[in-house]
Amino acid sequence: MRFDPATVTAYVDGELDDLTARRIEREAEADPALAAEIARHRALKARLVAHYAPVAAEAVPDRLRALLNDTAKAPVVDTSLATRRENRRWRLAPAQMGALAASLLLGLTIGLRPWTPAAEVTERGGALVASGELAAALDTQLASTQGADAAVRIGLSFRDREGRICRSFEGAALSGIGCRDAGGWTLERTMGGRTTNAPYRQANAGALAADAAAMMVGEPFDAAAERAARARGWRR
Amino acid sequence: MRFEEELIELLPRLRRFARGLTQSAPDADDLCQAAIERALKSRDQWQDGTRLDSWMYRITRNLWIDERRAAGRRGVHAPIDEAATQVAGDGAAEVEAGALRDDVDGAMARLPDEQREVVMLVLVEGYAYREAAEILDVPVGTVTSRLARGRDTLMQLLGEAA
Repeated sequence: MRFDPATVTAYVDGELDDLTARRIEREAEADPALAAEIARHRALKARLVAHYAPVAAEAVPDRLRALLNDTAKAPVVDTSLATRRENRRWRLAPAQMGALAASLLLGLTIGLRPWTPAAEVTERGGALVASGELAAALDTQLASTQGADAAVRIGLSFRDREGRICRSFEGAALSGIGCRDAGGWTLERTMGGRTTNAPYRQANAGALAADAAAMMVGEPFDAAAERAARARGWRR
Repeated sequence: MRFEEELIELLPRLRRFARGLTQSAPDADDLCQAAIERALKSRDQWQDGTRLDSWMYRITRNLWIDERRAAGRRGVHAPIDEAATQVAGDGAAEVEAGALRDDVDGAMARLPDEQREVVMLVLVEGYAYREAAEILDVPVGTVTSRLARGRDTLMQLLGEAA
């Protein structure tokens, strides 16, 4: 291994300059020991984050809020989207937390294999939206009938808390979960695709399944439900 | 945004940080309360436009260190320390590592304060090394070396499959 341990952890912590980070990524593709080392550190970090996340998701005790509300002389409503999103994400049964620990790897693996946005993804109002081949696959492809050689493989289809229909997918460069709304398939999760290096690919697959489980309301669609949803144009 | 509102938004994260530092839910909220009171009292020292979060983390951490030092002078050892000493006294590192494999709290409790606070700031709270160094008022090199030691210990205690 040409990189010392401090450089590897600095990479995991996002502390390296782009050039060195890219060098370590290239090296990791050819060096399973380095890749495993990176994965090990990511796993530790993900585990710690998952362990403490429920604390941040708890309601803040009144006695603490009161200290500030009294001074503010006005009720303060927490409207931070990020906070609400985080709360929603973590308001889960403890059993799901373990699965989610794996899904945290997702956030940490983004950027390892940057996809080319032009082909499959566009940006609209700050959200990533499927386009081109990916959008077509999400629109038309059924998990029950897709060919083994399909460029994009559809995983689970399910309904999320907002009532949208969401579908997990795995492509060559990009995998993730798209949810259907008026404007198309908004990508709620994205991560490296099939061509990602083995250890990350495995973590990605686990993360995707955990994410889908966390977003899902009810059961994933069976073949009949999937077909019926397609017939309705994936409308809620 | 008003000072108080910004502080309220910060509370969930601050409670998480305090939980990591104190290793106890009631202690963490006591610490948060003390930190909020201190912040309200010294709000003049906070400059609008600078980061309130770093400032609050710093207040919180300093209060906790003061508390630990005071407890040390009084000859009071936190239960955490006793537990850690007892386990360490057994000298059965492997047995211990096995026992702690599923116990992040237990593993974190084994870290010295100076390593635990760095682990919390960088690995859990997501601060950059430089930001953590500013919060702790130590050089960046100190942050990285403490973080490395903390990581090694956690990795060892929590196992390869961390």
